[in-house]
Amino acid sequence: MAQPLVPELLRAHLAELASRDQRADGRGRWEGRELSLEVGVLDRAEGSARVRMGDTIVFCGVKFQIQTPYPDRPNEGGIMTSAELRPGAGRHIEPGPPSPESIEMSRVVDRGIRESGCIDTKDLCIIPGEKVWQVIIDCFAISDDGNLFDAFGLAAIAALHNATLPGERFDIGEDRKFPVNKTPIMCSYQKVGGRFVYDSNREEEVGGDERIHITLGEGDHVHSLQKGLKGVFTASEFVEIMEAAKVRCAELRKLVDSM
Amino acid sequence: MSSSGASDGRTSAASGSLVIPGDKISSDTSDRLGHGVMKLNGEMIATKLGYVVVKAGEISITPIHTAYFPRPGDLVIAYIEGMRSNIWFIDLNAPFNAILPMSLAPMKIDYGGTRDAMNVGTTILCRVQEVDEAHSSVVTMKGMGLRKVNSGFVDTIPPHLVSTISSGTNAIINQLKDASNCRIILGANGRIWVDGEPEGIRLVRNALAFVRDNEHSTDLAGAFTGHLANGNGE
Amino acid sequence: MGYGDVQMIDENGNRVDGRKAGDIRPIEIELGVVPVADGSASMRWGTNYVIASVYGPMEAHPRKIQRQERAVLDVRYNMAPFSTTDRFRPGFNRRSREISKVTSDALESVVLLELYPRSKIRVEIEVICAEAGTRCVGLTAASLALADAGIPMTDMVVSVASGKINGIVVCDLNKEEDNYGAADLPMGVLPNTGELVFLQMDGDLSPSEFQEAWDYNMEAALKIHVIMKEAIANKYGGGQ
Repeated sequence: MAQPLVPELLRAHLAELASRDQRADGRGRWEGRELSLEVGVLDRAEGSARVRMGDTIVFCGVKFQIQTPYPDRPNEGGIMTSAELRPGAGRHIEPGPPSPESIEMSRVVDRGIRESGCIDTKDLCIIPGEKVWQVIIDCFAISDDGNLFDAFGLAAIAALHNATLPGERFDIGEDRKFPVNKTPIMCSYQKVGGRFVYDSNREEEVGGDERIHITLGEGDHVHSLQKGLKGVFTASEFVEIMEAAKVRCAELRKLVDSM
Repeated sequence: MSSSGASDGRTSAASGSLVIPGDKISSDTSDRLGHGVMKLNGEMIATKLGYVVVKAGEISITPIHTAYFPRPGDLVIAYIEGMRSNIWFIDLNAPFNAILPMSLAPMKIDYGGTRDAMNVGTTILCRVQEVDEAHSSVVTMKGMGLRKVNSGFVDTIPPHLVSTISSGTNAIINQLKDASNCRIILGANGRIWVDGEPEGIRLVRNALAFVRDNEHSTDLAGAFTGHLANGNGE
Repeated sequence: MGYGDVQMIDENGNRVDGRKAGDIRPIEIELGVVPVADGSASMRWGTNYVIASVYGPMEAHPRKIQRQERAVLDVRYNMAPFSTTDRFRPGFNRRSREISKVTSDALESVVLLELYPRSKIRVEIEVICAEAGTRCVGLTAASLALADAGIPMTDMVVSVASGKINGIVVCDLNKEEDNYGAADLPMGVLPNTGELVFLQMDGDLSPSEFQEAWDYNMEAALKIHVIMKEAIANKYGGGQ
């Protein structure tokens, strides 16, 4: 990604707003942008979702392939996650090989799904030692107005819940619903104007500082954490964010489970 | 309203109608060609998506969307995006770059002193001095009111709305100044500098969001008055 | 079983999807679907779903791609991994490169590039779901996105492919017809003048079959041009 030009006035303005407990678009500190979630939107994917958060729009497609298992894990299938920052999604996104930001995003989304254990790789076994499923989760940005992390995370878990194992197409058996036994949800917080806020838009992202990504499961179980960019935060800041994440993750989990 | 037929070839477009690139506006090429119009195969056609305007012997298109083309004399709000020992590189919100030479800075500078005087990310009020054939410009900060900006906030509207919001008896920009009690400077490049109390700045930003969302309505100034009266979407 | 044996059109002239020989697939167009772009458009065409977004004109970086007297078009056609039945592997792809180039050549023929010397206009075409004729959908969607971005052009570009199945020339090939048919003739047409900016052909067409396919494409281009204008009028209103 091209380094954005950050006008000094933007940072000063965001700090001024933060000191008054305000954000530029009038949202509360822990308030997200207008959100829409649709599933089953991609004809060629075995599971899919489209997420819109404000003007950030992403797709996620889940597809299955057959592969031979690793010799040391003959009963287990594979999971692969990718998150593509397409150049069409923003002026600031330069075409070419994946940028460090893009790779970090891919790995954060992957961690959120994989480490939660929402996919039991033993469920992916077809013939032990011979054939297993590989589930591939492809996240794809259409429009980047900030916080692609959460949009990708939400789209990924919603697409997984929407997925069907394509037994018929591969001549293995009937199609059946892909078993996903949890709903991990990622929420991202960014320091803007000196304090952490939820769901930063692009302006806040450009003018803001460090980020913390938290993936929680049922019962507020912590599945993954990542701190991004330069900066420091205190233990009490973290506690505050965690409390906010518990609430928001529960709300989003309810939404995904209702689809 | 008329629209171009397809299978029977092109037909003329009336003033005020929406046209897309390639639509025939007129077979009569005696009118002057304004913005977004060209002569092709003996006819006048639209090159841009927008509305036909017929005025005083000239036909032009008010485009749906346009980039900012600097012209000499334009007052603009810009950012410093880089420098060398004797010039600054200026972000004008235009497709083409601009420079500010040391000699046209608002303060006395020594060779090599550019970074100390105004660093990357500084917001400035400047004027376009000259533009070459490739649309690259030189800007100046020598002049009344031209200076570094240290407070307030800069918002953006599409450049083609600049004249829309500053014209008319009930001009939107004036309504905004009255309602917000803020100092507001509108740059020709679509950037708007607002300074005042945070509540006033918030009011202006919300109001500008309304303008952007409703730019194609037929009476924007009137709709704007109504929007402000209805609490500005708060 | 040879490809020519697959029955794709019956004795009543009905194709597998119910269309007659000269019919085009259903098309839906929406403008401004990428809020952060300068211009954008989506096209659903059959089960194709393509999103095109445009950024620019902007400064051309790196400097070596700049041209003194005009803008450069930087066009990228890309297929999403989930756009095809078998996952499409992201990364360098020769077919995508070729399509990007011919799309760029087609658009350069209509965009008034001399108005923006030394600058660049980015055109990003993303195939979200693929079903035959994606290069045609991409080129058509790109011209809509350019118009939405206010980039001046001498005309819109409408692209469609006709071909031959079971010895019969048909308009706007679908997936099976493209796979099992005997010919594929995609064209990019300027609807106001009938001029061509894009032309390719694969297969076997007699001179009269070629003329039939050509004519189908021209007629389809005019029909699609009307659909484009309706979609644009829906978004921006008929007039002021």
